[in-house]
Amino acid sequence: MSLTATYRLGTRLFWRDKAMLFASVLTPVGIAVGLPTLMRHVTAEGVAAAAALSQSAIAVVLSITAFMNIGVALTGRRDQLVLKRLRCTRLTDGQILLGQMASVATQTVAIIVVCVVAVRIVAGVPLPANPVAFAAVTIAGSVVMTLLGAAYTAVIPRLELAAAYTMPVFLVCGLSAGAMGPIPLPSWLQAILDLLPTTAVVDAVRTGELAVPFLILAVWAVLGYLALRLWFRWEPRRS
Amino acid sequence: MTTIEVNGLRKSHQGFEAVKDVSFEVSAGEIFALLGRNGAGKTTTIEVLAGFQRADGGTVRVLGLDPYADRAAVRQRTGIMLQEAGFFPDLTVAQTVDTWRDFTAAPRPRAEALELAGLTARSGTRVRQLSGGEKRRLDLALALLGRPDVLFLDEPTTGMDPEARAATWEVIRDLARQGTTILLTTHYLEEAQRLAAAMAIMDHGVIVASGGMAETLAARSGRVAFRLPAAMDPGVLPLPVTVENGLAVCRAEDPDLAAQTLLTWAAERGLRLEGLEVRTATLEDLFLESAVKETR
Repeated sequence: MSLTATYRLGTRLFWRDKAMLFASVLTPVGIAVGLPTLMRHVTAEGVAAAAALSQSAIAVVLSITAFMNIGVALTGRRDQLVLKRLRCTRLTDGQILLGQMASVATQTVAIIVVCVVAVRIVAGVPLPANPVAFAAVTIAGSVVMTLLGAAYTAVIPRLELAAAYTMPVFLVCGLSAGAMGPIPLPSWLQAILDLLPTTAVVDAVRTGELAVPFLILAVWAVLGYLALRLWFRWEPRRS
Repeated sequence: MTTIEVNGLRKSHQGFEAVKDVSFEVSAGEIFALLGRNGAGKTTTIEVLAGFQRADGGTVRVLGLDPYADRAAVRQRTGIMLQEAGFFPDLTVAQTVDTWRDFTAAPRPRAEALELAGLTARSGTRVRQLSGGEKRRLDLALALLGRPDVLFLDEPTTGMDPEARAATWEVIRDLARQGTTILLTTHYLEEAQRLAAAMAIMDHGVIVASGGMAETLAARSGRVAFRLPAAMDPGVLPLPVTVENGLAVCRAEDPDLAAQTLLTWAAERGLRLEGLEVRTATLEDLFLESAVKETR
């Protein structure tokens, strides 16, 4: 019941923060729908190019709506001592974090689904061939990126720097998955970037191959969980 | 029955010993005031008692439980008003209370909580638009939602206007009458004196004075003060005095008798003791005496 309450609170706050809505919803949706639509109409390959870009754009949604959103939100609530106030209640630490993370992960999955449907309508990109596999990997990706975003707050010194600290993650994830267009990378670097959770999700969506991407996601989930347990801060640093 | 028990508590932050060997007890239904200047160690003590920080040494028990190890169990029966904590600024007062009701077992109805805190008229206002004093009252409403057995109040009336402060005192007294054990810290000595049955004064992480409020004050000296005539050597007075900002101050167990002695002495010499003030010991006197002793 308490977990449901923190989930509801997280969802209410997600849709109420107008500044974050612009960054966490409008921007990634704009990229994930706008770029494939543009590609559909300006390139010779048309639908194929739009489909490839649409798949890559999932990395953008994951890195912004899941990772950046939870990172900025938890840093803000930590620095404004809202997390501390929540800890005055009978909620356990797990319920506080899990409710907020589950909410962000759900919004991320919903936005990915909206983008997939939108590019089907406006750019003629076919829907995923295997909807169950698509759902499984995007849900897993959203959960892992939300978990990593929560753990990442440990390195964000204060709220004013939260966006600046999360931006490089978005750039690297987008670049690695091809969402920034075909930018040639050295093969050794591409091999490393392929291990990113966002790239794993895009690879799974693109190829239908699930085993390796799920293994990569599982490793990141363990790392994120351990980092969260070890380093998550409930209050700002005492100066 | 002892509800809060602190025995030899020690707590350091990054090498700085904020609390050193602090011990006290609070009985069920008692209001206990923890006093001291900024940095005395009051908030650290209350944060250990509330289970936010683990004690480095000594033992701490709230309702017979370790508040850090058994936080979940202790939380069910405690209410906490922190000195500093944030709200969700875009939620209204009513939405904030409703949200917190979701986190509380068998909560008070929203209307009752708002009325207790004097916020009924502000229920539709966004939290970001509340004044500092109103935020403290919202804080109080949230702390009282679960009808706690133990209430920790860290500077509960800071920023409140006199009317709100008086109303809050009444709420606190009522809760204690109903059996709630209350530990409060405050800068307002008058507040502690009016509310608390027992107190401890902390300075530099140690308790420098403690006991029942009435007994402790009764055992302290009263004060007689008057403006010292310009040419007068205080050494000629019949009682020992200290000179503080042009005032001759005489501390005595029986301030009435001391005043009588001084007035008789002055009348015999045709002198007037301008601005004569006689009063029994206050918490402020005790606080200042304790702080002075500690810095010597």
